[in-house]
Parts: sequence; C-alpha cells; structure tokens
Amino acid sequence: MLVSVLFAGVGGQGVVTASDLLAHCALGAGWDVKKAETHGMAQRGGSVVSHVRLADRGSVRSPLIPEGQADYLVAMELLEGLRALSMLKPDGKAIVDVRTIMPITVASGQRQYPEGLEERLRERGLVIEATAEATRLGEPRAANSVLLGVLSCFLPLAEEAWRQAFEGGFKPKALEVNWQAFLLGRTLAVARGK
Amino acid sequence: MSDTDRLLLSGNEAVALGAWQAGCRLASAYPGTPSSEIVPALLRWADKLGGHVYAEWSVNEKIALEVASGASMAGARAMVTMKHVGLNVAADPFFTLAYTGVEAGLVVLVADDPHMHSSQNEQDTRIYARHAGVPMLEPADSQEACDFGRLAFELSERFDTPVLIRMTTRVSHSQSTVRAMVGRQEREPGGAPLNPQKYTMIPAYARARHRLQLDRLAEVTAWAEETTINRIETGEGKVGFLTAGIAYEYLREILPQAPVLKLGLSYPLPVEKLRRFREGLDRLIVIEELEPFLYEQVRALGVEAERLPDAYRLGELTPARLAVGLREIGVESETAEEATCTEEPTEDLPPRPPVLCPGCPHRGVFYTLSKLKTLVTGDIGCYTLGTLEPLRALHTCLCMGAGLSQAHGVSKATEGGQKVVAVIGDSTFTHTGIPALLNAVYNRGSFVAVILNNRTTAMTGGQEHPGTGRNLMGQEAPSLDFARLAEALGVELVLKLPAEDLSSLEAGLKQALAQEGLSVVIVEGPCVLQYRVRGDVFGVDGEICAGCGMCLRLGCPALVAEEHDDRQWPRVDETLCTGCGLCAQVCPKKALAPVSSRR
Repeated sequence: MLVSVLFAGVGGQGVVTASDLLAHCALGAGWDVKKAETHGMAQRGGSVVSHVRLADRGSVRSPLIPEGQADYLVAMELLEGLRALSMLKPDGKAIVDVRTIMPITVASGQRQYPEGLEERLRERGLVIEATAEATRLGEPRAANSVLLGVLSCFLPLAEEAWRQAFEGGFKPKALEVNWQAFLLGRTLAVARGK
Repeated sequence: MSDTDRLLLSGNEAVALGAWQAGCRLASAYPGTPSSEIVPALLRWADKLGGHVYAEWSVNEKIALEVASGASMAGARAMVTMKHVGLNVAADPFFTLAYTGVEAGLVVLVADDPHMHSSQNEQDTRIYARHAGVPMLEPADSQEACDFGRLAFELSERFDTPVLIRMTTRVSHSQSTVRAMVGRQEREPGGAPLNPQKYTMIPAYARARHRLQLDRLAEVTAWAEETTINRIETGEGKVGFLTAGIAYEYLREILPQAPVLKLGLSYPLPVEKLRRFREGLDRLIVIEELEPFLYEQVRALGVEAERLPDAYRLGELTPARLAVGLREIGVESETAEEATCTEEPTEDLPPRPPVLCPGCPHRGVFYTLSKLKTLVTGDIGCYTLGTLEPLRALHTCLCMGAGLSQAHGVSKATEGGQKVVAVIGDSTFTHTGIPALLNAVYNRGSFVAVILNNRTTAMTGGQEHPGTGRNLMGQEAPSLDFARLAEALGVELVLKLPAEDLSSLEAGLKQALAQEGLSVVIVEGPCVLQYRVRGDVFGVDGEICAGCGMCLRLGCPALVAEEHDDRQWPRVDETLCTGCGLCAQVCPKKALAPVSSRR
C-alpha cells in the first residue's frame, strides 16, 4: 500500500516538523519513506508544502506526489488548504485547521482574502479548530499535533509508533503538551465519525 | 547507529555521510541553496562517528575549490560544495584542475536548482562536466547520494581527476531511507609533492596534461561500460528510456515496467552499453531535467532517440508533468490520466510570496530608498525581497557582487547624471563585493554603496562569515571591520547608520547622495531570525488611527489591514511583531506604540 500525504501551510508554521513526525513514525514501523520539501525562499512567510509518501511493502519511487494523487491533505491554514486542494485525490481526505493568516498581498490591501473557504474545505474532509484546541492546552504551537492526531486515525500506524516519533521529534519540555494535543486530535476524529 | 540501521536522510546528509565514509578530511564551501547543509552535516557525522574533519566557510566558491585542491595535493581527501551558480565563480580553477588531477580524492559537489526555488537562473551543471572533461555522478535518491559520495573519492584517486557530483534541489532536499556502513577509510596526508610537471600549468606542462586528460576520459568511459551504477533494467514493451538522477524516480513512478538504461555516471557516456540497449527497441526516449544534455550526445553518436517537447527544458520535472509530457509524444500512462482530470480548477488565489521578516533590519533601508526614488542596484540575499510590493525599492539582481559594479557602470554611462545606490549584504560583500568596491574606487566611480550588515548569511540559514567573529569550526575569528576596509580602499565618505532609525537613515542616505564621488554607508542591525531579536510588541490605538495606511507601506507581515469606509485600518498581529518600532516612526498620528506603555 502506498500512502501519500501532503502538508500545506505558511513558512514558520511548522509544516516541515509535522511532516517529519509522520515520516519517522512510518520509518519506525518498518515502512519505506520518502519526503520532499524546498527550503530557502519558502521559509520567509511564503507558502510551504511538504510531500510525504509511505509504503508498507515495496518501495516508494518519486518523493513528489503527482497532481491529484494525495490520499490526505493536512493544511494548517485555510487559504493554503485551498491552494493545495488540486493535489488531493477525488476521494482523498482534507484535514484542515480553521486558522487564517493574511498573506502580504492581502495585508497590504492589494487583494482580498477569499470567502467561503471553510465550507469548501469541509466538503472535502474535516475542518478542525486545531489552534483553538491547542491554545486551550496552553500551547498554540501544538496545533499541528492536533492535526496529526486526526490524521493518525486514518492510517494503519500504531499509537506506539507515533509515540516513538514524538519522543524523537520534540525536546522533553515540549513533548507532553504535543502528545496531549495528538491524543486530543484522535478523540476529535472519533467524535467526527472516524 | 549500527551497520544495519535504516536512516531517513536528506540527499545532503547522505552525501555527507558518503564523504565521511570515504575519509574526507577537508570540506570547504560558500553557502548556497540547495547545497548549504552538506558541509555542516559532514562535521556532525565526524562528531558522531569519529575521524578528523576540518571544514570552513570560504569567502567564495573559487577560493573554496582552491583550498580543497591544495588539501588534495597534500594528500587529504577533500570536498567542495556549492550551488550551480557557484561553479561559475569556481570555473577558473575547475577547468585547469581537470588537467592537473589530484593526489588524494577531490570531489566537487554542485547542486542545481531547476525551477529556481531559490536562485536567479536554472543553468545545468552537467554541461560543465563535459566542457571541462570531468567525470560526473548523479544520484537519484539518498541511498545513491551516500554511495556515490563514497565512490566519487575512489574514482578521483583511481583516475587522477576531480570528480563532479551533480545533485538537484529534489535530491538534496528530499529525504529517503539509507542503509549505510559506518566504517571510514582513512588516508593520512603525506604532504604535497614537488611536481611542477603535474601542478604548474605553464603552457609546456599544460599541453602534456591536456593529452593525459583525454586519455583518462577514455579510461573512465571503459569503466562506465562495466560499472553496475549504469544499468540496463529490462522490461516490457519496445519503448525504452535513458535517464539519470531524480528523473529516473519519476519515470519509475509512472512506468514501473518500461525498459530503462539508468545512468549513475552521466558523464562520460557508456557508448557500447547504450548501443546494446537501443538494439531491439522501437523507440528510445531520453528523460532529463533542464538541458538536452544526454539527448544531444546520444544523437551525436548517430543513435536515434527522442525527447520531451522543448517546453520541458524549463523548470522542474514532476511525475505529473513528466506523464503529460510523455503523452504529448505518444506514451500513455495512468498518471497522465489522473493528472489531467483533477476536480479542482486552478483559480486565482491571492499569492503568498516570501517577505522580509517582521523586524527585519533591511525594511527601514528599503522604505527610505523607496521614498528617495533613486535607482537601486541590488544583489543576492534576503534583501533581494526589497524588490517586491509594497517596497519596490530594488531594481536589479544579477549575480553575487554585481550590484556595486552595475552602479559604477550606470554612473559612468550617465557621467554622474543618474544617482545610483548599490545595496549589498555583508556576506555577499565578502564573497565578491570587495574587488567590485576596489574597482569603483580606483576608477573614480560616483555612487552610494550600502552595505547591509546583519551579521550573518541570512538567506541560506544563517552561516558565519568573516564579519561575524566566528568560523565554521566554532572558533573565534577576527571580525572584518567594513568601515576601516572601505577607508583603506580609498573611500572618502564612510557612514555607519542604525537600521532601526528611519530619520538617521534618511539623513545619512541624503548626505551620501549629495556627495560627489563614491561613498559607503554601512547599515547596522542584526538579523532578527538568527539573533532572535524580540522587543515589546506594538499595538494600534483605534481612537487615534486615521486609517491612512502609511504603516502598511512598510510591508510588515505583522501589520494586517482591514478595509472599510474606503480606508485601511491596521491591526498588529502580536504573535509576529518583534517590536522594531518602524511602524510607529512612520505613523503621522502617533497611533502606534508599545502595548506595555499603555497598560
């Protein structure tokens, strides 16, 4: 089985860190893994995507997901979710934080932030108040862990493999709040019928 | 880490591991995306697994290659890394090193950037390999990056030649699994031989070496026929493919069963293997990113072949793009079906370009320059972003160090009639800016040279340079004094201005522009990312703000506009604000102030 997950967000939101956690979780479970992103310009507040591809048997070939072939889209911001939506399979699932971050083209008044994003993305999957939930846990930056918790309910990777990836991916003082956020994401996914 | 561990490594980390295994003792580089992580990764491997490695940020790629060549001559295995355009700078030693050859292995690693994710052009390094007559390895994933990193040193010593490893952004920055041995093959440097026939390239000796170089290429070609890194993968059908690097992985994604000749050594070509592969095929299609490098050589051999339409010379291949390109020349695949029938129409969404960070010390300079409305010749670095809306205060970007010389050329052409400001970052100034400034002073140029001193190489991730007071080995180092250097070169007016004070910037720049001749303005302010600069966050007093939008002209991501009543009402995003206070300085109503001052 080949699973392709596209992460999308804004430079500085932790797109690369979140995709690393998934990659290391699958690696720990014995899967083949490839992953692609670009560094540099993208990090200066621009759009960022990270491609993660996993295979439980055989090997992954291209690190890039072909257009329209992502099984899951994990978006940390609504506009970036919409921008990446063409990468999703017709029956793929989007997992999106309701958060909005104004691009400079909107903040400086040249363009309008599009309306109705939440509704459009809801049609393609789950829209989650991840930042709000993480803020309630005392760490808004754990929003990505909430999203990963939701994603984890769709993937055949054991909770123990996730735990190991989290232990390898976070400094001790950030680990527990992120793990709580992850578990919260799992609960939310189940509550939404998954 | 043991011999059987499966590691998830980026191509850059993996090639560094291969170099470590090969006993690389010296690595030199100037940072450049996507190659910057390799040399630091090599130091980390040495730290973790043992073995002596010396590494440095050289001031530019030419010098980095010369340092590595000296080390190789002295018997130490050496590697130099750079981005594609870096090889233009290093081309001078590169071509002649192909004549001299090496003592210990010498590896030149160049990372190309198809699609220009973070570059000013998308030149194809493979053509350099052929032009200089240097063997070239092209890894397709991290496992090959590691294996070829090791092999490159072996080939270099076996054939007495520098070896080029060509990577691309997708190979350098993608991660994939690597199984690696942890052994290291040490070679103790015995010192450089006194061998002028080999290393002193006067015409008489160089002619002999050029002949030897051609003989050596013939030997490498013979090796290319034998090696398993150039392999024929038999398959179904009569349409076969010749490919190398990341394009191989894309092809395998789309057509897992097709016959393929996959090259690991993509220069020189294994001619006989190619002819053998071609026999029995109806069509041979060459799949490569950027230039028709392999294709033209294949055709020159008289072997019939095809390639993707010319439009595919531009930008990066992706699996979907390759599938669509193949369909255009009559090769069908499932990927092409799916890629051309995605549900979502592409729509006109507001773009999210990269921006100068909140609190960036470059913002005030560009805001001031945009008010002064002079021509600004730019350079390579974060500050190139000063060209975008709303600042639009930088008008050229050609190559490292060019801004100073372009300004000089403009001032000479217009006989001082057009005022010009050249801006250059501190690291870029040390790279190629110093000779440019010297040239302008010597030739009695007339412009304002602005050195943006943020005390790091910011764009590539914050590397040390001669102005930061530290080097890559973590040692303290002499810190270049830009003002004293400018004075020593003969610049008469040298000003130092604080990046965070708009009125000083404006007064200083106006003073410099009014001056006849050449002046240097050093703008001092540390990179907010690298030095984690954080002050009191600012807020807008809604009762005072008139919605004039002046603060929004700074293009600060922490200021968000809300439009109503035909006016633009700013709001400060407190999670992003670093408290630089520029917005308060431009506000005519004094509606912006530190939040703490109001509590």
